Amino acid sequence: MMEPLNVYASRLVNSKEFFVSGHKSCQGCAEALAVRLVGKALGENVIVSCATGCMEVVSSAFPHTSWDVPWFHTAFGNAAAVASGTEAGIKAQVRKGRLPEKETVILGMAGDGGTTDIGFQALSGAMERGHNMMFVCYDNEAYMNTGIQRSSATPLGARTTTTPAGKINPGEEFTIKKNMPEIMVSHNIPYVATACPSYPLDLIEKVQKAAKTKGPAYVHILSVCPTGWRIPSEKAIWIGRLAIETGVFPLFEVVNGRYKMTFKDLELRPVEEYLKPQGRFRGLAPEMMEKFQEQVTDNYNDLLKKSGLK
Amino acid sequence: MSDKVNLTIDGRKLEAPAGSTILQAAKDANIYIPHLCHNDELKPYGACRLCVVEITHRNRTRIVASCIYEVAEGLEVQTVTERVLNVRKLVIELLLSRNKKSQVLQDIAQKLEVEKSRFELDIKGCILCGMCIRTCKEVVGVNAIGYKSRGFTREVATPFDETPPDCIACGSCAYVCPVDFIQYSEKNGVRTIWNTEFPMQKCTKCGRHIAPVKQLDHFKETLNLPEDHFDICLHCR
Repeated sequence: MMEPLNVYASRLVNSKEFFVSGHKSCQGCAEALAVRLVGKALGENVIVSCATGCMEVVSSAFPHTSWDVPWFHTAFGNAAAVASGTEAGIKAQVRKGRLPEKETVILGMAGDGGTTDIGFQALSGAMERGHNMMFVCYDNEAYMNTGIQRSSATPLGARTTTTPAGKINPGEEFTIKKNMPEIMVSHNIPYVATACPSYPLDLIEKVQKAAKTKGPAYVHILSVCPTGWRIPSEKAIWIGRLAIETGVFPLFEVVNGRYKMTFKDLELRPVEEYLKPQGRFRGLAPEMMEKFQEQVTDNYNDLLKKSGLK
Repeated sequence: MSDKVNLTIDGRKLEAPAGSTILQAAKDANIYIPHLCHNDELKPYGACRLCVVEITHRNRTRIVASCIYEVAEGLEVQTVTERVLNVRKLVIELLLSRNKKSQVLQDIAQKLEVEKSRFELDIKGCILCGMCIRTCKEVVGVNAIGYKSRGFTREVATPFDETPPDCIACGSCAYVCPVDFIQYSEKNGVRTIWNTEFPMQKCTKCGRHIAPVKQLDHFKETLNLPEDHFDICLHCR
């Protein structure tokens, strides 16, 4: 709960960069910001395996790279599998005395496509086997890199190129966003958290906790995508804040099955404030808005109950 | 100042810029040395003594604190020897006696295979690393807190243990405290730190709380801003 402190306290954060500038992400990309903060939180003692997706495309166009740490590019679906293999490999090498014991953090990272759709079974397997690794999902709620196609993390009513506006509905018609953090909690892993780069100190704290956890840890990061969400690039941080303030993306952590809300006495703002500025929700019918609000409130109350606040 | 010196840490030959410390050189080479009172943004201080290492210089070995010892040509450093571990074990026992509950201290103790402290002390939990005081001075620049008394009774306090007149309630001291001893809370537009309640400025448009009024006054004063500059928050502008 260090969030309101970020005027001076942010100067005390690790000043070294491990995801360096010069990458090719869009203006205002909050995902690049999230990756940078995760890099700062973990330091140099880390091995990253990164699934195909925005962050792989923007950071590793041959012959350039933005990474100052060991980094693999894996296929779209197997970031978690490669990370778990790396962990097992290092464990074996340490046992045989070929490597010193250095407590290297093994980080798997992917976008929402590489986590909730294509990489799901690899991730589920890695978490279930109990590898000492962490996985970070940078969720921008669609396949932004290939041109904004819908994924299972796309929220209700959002317009993408594969869920275009029709005569009756403006976008995604039936399905609500897949609740990935909850699925990870059901794997009974020791640490699950949600974070957002609009709250940087909180994000850094959660990632560091995940890295310290013995066993698998999962962090779900909402990364606002100005290009795909149809918002001006300077509004990315603001939209991220609104997502938390309206309860669309609640921040919480689950340590050994115990829920803990990050903001305990948050008065939720109406969801409309979050939906209105975004071009992808333009023309959302009032009934859909109500449905959205209902689902958000239910989800939030559910979380409050689980964390014992209600 | 681009001179480089050669040194070895744990048998690895390294090059480090002259004037940097052993701890920095080890960090750059990904060699772990435990430490509590070091932050790259603050001047080295050498309070916690957890970062001790054994150096060999001209055939003589001795124990130094790596966060304040400058690198030198031909320096040989061992970060894990029996002697070093003995010192670290004693240091962590002494620190644990000041604060038994801190998770950070317990984690380090576990790594050093120290189960519990032999010493019993009646101290509330501050380990006197001075991070908060140095942050207040060097990063924030207001000098609101300092040390009080000496020896056993030394503690971090506000002037005369009263409402701190210079404090702007930025909370950096609470953020930087390695053992989470400094109490900080925020509720209903009032931030409480150092037993003092600081009201927060409310945005006149959206009603969100921006920051403590005193902090915004400090900004206005130092940056020469108009009086109504912070009436509206960043997002409503």
